[in-house]
Amino acid sequence: MLKIEFESFTLANGLQVILHTDRSSPLVAVDLWYHVGSKDEVPGRTGFAHLFEHLMFMGSRHAPYPAFDAIMESWGGHNNGTTSNDRTNYYEIGPRNLLETFLWLEADRLATLPDVITAEELEKQLKVVQNERRQSYENRPYGRAELAIPEAMYPADHPYHWPTIGSHEDLEAATVDDVRAFFDRFYRPSNASLVVAGDFDPAEARALVDRYFGWQAKREPPTRAPRPATPRLAADVEISLTDRVQLPRLRLAWHTPALFAPGDADLDLAAHVLGGGKSSRLYRALVFERRIAQDVFAYQGSQMLGSVFHIGATAKPDHDLAEIRAAVDAELTRFAAEGPTEAELARARNTHLADFYKSLDHLQTRADLLNHYQNLLGDPDGVARDVARYADATCASVQGAFSRALGAKRLALSTLPEPVST
Amino acid sequence: MSEADAPLTMRSAPAVGPLPSVVPPTAERFTLSNGLEVVTVRREVAPIVSAALMIRSGAGDEPPEQSGLASLTAEMLDEGAGTRDALALADELERLGADLWLGSGRDGSQLSVQAPGDTFFAALDIAGDVLCRPRLTEADWERVLADRKTATAQRRDQPEAVVSVVSDRLLFGEAHAYGRPVEGYTRTIERLTLADVRAFHAAHWRPNHSFLVVAGAFDAGLLRARLEGALGAWVGSPAPATPAPPAWPARPRLCIVDRPGAPQSIVRLVAPGTDRLSPDRPGLAMLNAILGGSFTSRLNFNLREKNGFTYGASSSFAFLRRPGSFAARAAVFAESTAPAVREMLGELAGLHERPVTADEHAKARATLLMRVAEGLATTGGIAATFGDIGLYGLPLDEPLRFVAALERTTADDLRELAARYVDPAAASIVIVGDRAAIEPGLRELGLPAPVLCDADGEQL
Repeated sequence: MLKIEFESFTLANGLQVILHTDRSSPLVAVDLWYHVGSKDEVPGRTGFAHLFEHLMFMGSRHAPYPAFDAIMESWGGHNNGTTSNDRTNYYEIGPRNLLETFLWLEADRLATLPDVITAEELEKQLKVVQNERRQSYENRPYGRAELAIPEAMYPADHPYHWPTIGSHEDLEAATVDDVRAFFDRFYRPSNASLVVAGDFDPAEARALVDRYFGWQAKREPPTRAPRPATPRLAADVEISLTDRVQLPRLRLAWHTPALFAPGDADLDLAAHVLGGGKSSRLYRALVFERRIAQDVFAYQGSQMLGSVFHIGATAKPDHDLAEIRAAVDAELTRFAAEGPTEAELARARNTHLADFYKSLDHLQTRADLLNHYQNLLGDPDGVARDVARYADATCASVQGAFSRALGAKRLALSTLPEPVST
Repeated sequence: MSEADAPLTMRSAPAVGPLPSVVPPTAERFTLSNGLEVVTVRREVAPIVSAALMIRSGAGDEPPEQSGLASLTAEMLDEGAGTRDALALADELERLGADLWLGSGRDGSQLSVQAPGDTFFAALDIAGDVLCRPRLTEADWERVLADRKTATAQRRDQPEAVVSVVSDRLLFGEAHAYGRPVEGYTRTIERLTLADVRAFHAAHWRPNHSFLVVAGAFDAGLLRARLEGALGAWVGSPAPATPAPPAWPARPRLCIVDRPGAPQSIVRLVAPGTDRLSPDRPGLAMLNAILGGSFTSRLNFNLREKNGFTYGASSSFAFLRRPGSFAARAAVFAESTAPAVREMLGELAGLHERPVTADEHAKARATLLMRVAEGLATTGGIAATFGDIGLYGLPLDEPLRFVAALERTTADDLRELAARYVDPAAASIVIVGDRAAIEPGLRELGLPAPVLCDADGEQL
């Protein structure tokens, strides 16, 4: 049976703690999730959740800047953070002798960050984030589409409307007071879960977690905005934009069931049958046989408040998006009517399971999975439940989920080459 | 929270015990009847197996007019093999939950298989077909070639790819295979034929010129017999010679690839480095950790943390069969281009003006030690570590030798290496960015007028 072994407990202040031992290497990973993402932001103050990922490295009272990175790197440890619509995580990986240091650093910034944050530091990190926006979206081929799609899919008051990276305008308007208020609301032990994974003694780790986090005051979990209405497009949406690219690309997007909701795994499998590599229907039809596309892809972008099913195809030179769209639509219509064959379903399922096995090989990924299930299901023990969703899918359930998704209105976004002088 | 609330334990950093030692996993070695060397490493954390077959020829073994041939040869091998055409082969691999990956780098080509333990041997049989019985049909070639032509044209869209192509061409020169992109140029690819692929395959993809690593949760009792079965038909032939590298050519100080309106400039400083077997490699890896190979490195700290010019600045040495490159890199705000270049050059000079400190030396050692440990902590990482050992013909205890070299390299050694390898005056500066916006600032730095290149590094 597939399982990630763990023990878990909750501190009096509400912090969820999950311990996973793996003594095959002399390494430890600490993975701390805060249940806050860009979905918890408000219009005019976008990009805050992600901005925090940067501010969290700007020092805390007992580990002033740049101690956080300097101490751990002096011992060969490293760390990073990631932010999505739904959550923010921070992780450290390093030799086992750094476990206590990792816990101390994470605990100190949770307890004291707002006391030490200054306008100067904020200013500096805003610049870094603005460069990140340019590097990841604005100066990257087809990056403009990534910004435009959520904006078109969700109404202005839905928190998935804006990108995690935020807008330059909102970032520039951020003040230290805004930042403190955001921290105060979401960065609480009761709104976090901590995984310690790797080469350690569980009893010692319990004592260390308690020493560094246990003293922090209990505060209620943050109040949250009510869950927004399930988004839907009232009519098909057509968008055309230009980018610094040579080949046009078509993107299609539909609203689909949220992460773990009925249909989510079916659509993940459907995406694989349609666009997952050389065996997939769209690759076969557009790239391999007709040779009108340079690449195709399909994925179910699963998220807590609602997912989006994406399809993309880049036209080969001398082919246009009308031709691409007709060919994609023909495959989608056929798939919605017929569903996958048994062989296609088996391939998609086996590939998914193999990918899951691979993810279990890496210590930090295991730590992240435990937190993922804790965040989503309120229980780290989610592997079996997660895998069962795919094992239970049938040709009929995949076909049903896909035809329902396709029955709704959609976004069609065309990225066209910008005229450039060469 | 007020300071009074914090317990004493919070007020100072906890004591840190000694670094754990790095203990590489046990590797076993045997040779198949066809001469292929095999190394196996067991790991049972997840039910997967990673195998990497390294061929000791890559893009570095291509003649100039055939740039792109090694990687196209690798890509063609799984376009149908044995009883299966390209699609049937892909279908069967998917059914097994197996990934098969073929590609080339500068010094080698590679076939990798990753599969669950219970389907690994079936996937291995397909890999055997791919190696021994590739179909190499004209119809598949025509399609793969057309895709590659489009991909090399699309490279122009990716400023990070462009800066690499142009930097390598300037540094190594057009006569050196390292000066040409692994994927080739549109103009060289257009002239390649399936006969070229067959010839490259016949000359280079040979068991006596290769090395296989199998890592993970495989069935040890069956492995050798299954390898003989899958790969027994693969036979050797005389190993090809590696061409000698030409001398480093003269290169311009500043080169710009114009990208009008670009919001960022992609900046790269390049200079000669050294080769994979150089005794200087461990020390240079440490020196690089200090200069630009970690978050708290001098380059990142200056450009990102102190100045906010960039999302990240870094540096690296490429240690290759023949001497490779040293490079420092950053993607910066267009308006920060000149100050960023000034600071990058300043940090290279800084290695001489502000020599490596004891703290930096300790950090570099720990960083590299833990990189070895982390590299050996996944099945894929073990396959990659031992694959590299096989590719360069290193002893199997190379990880321990590297660790020992890190332990004995002193801060003085690093200063001496900096003197020999890091010279800001010798670096070429390559920038992909908005020329009109950035050129005046660069001139104020005292840099000469730039050489202008297109995205393939062709001087305009």
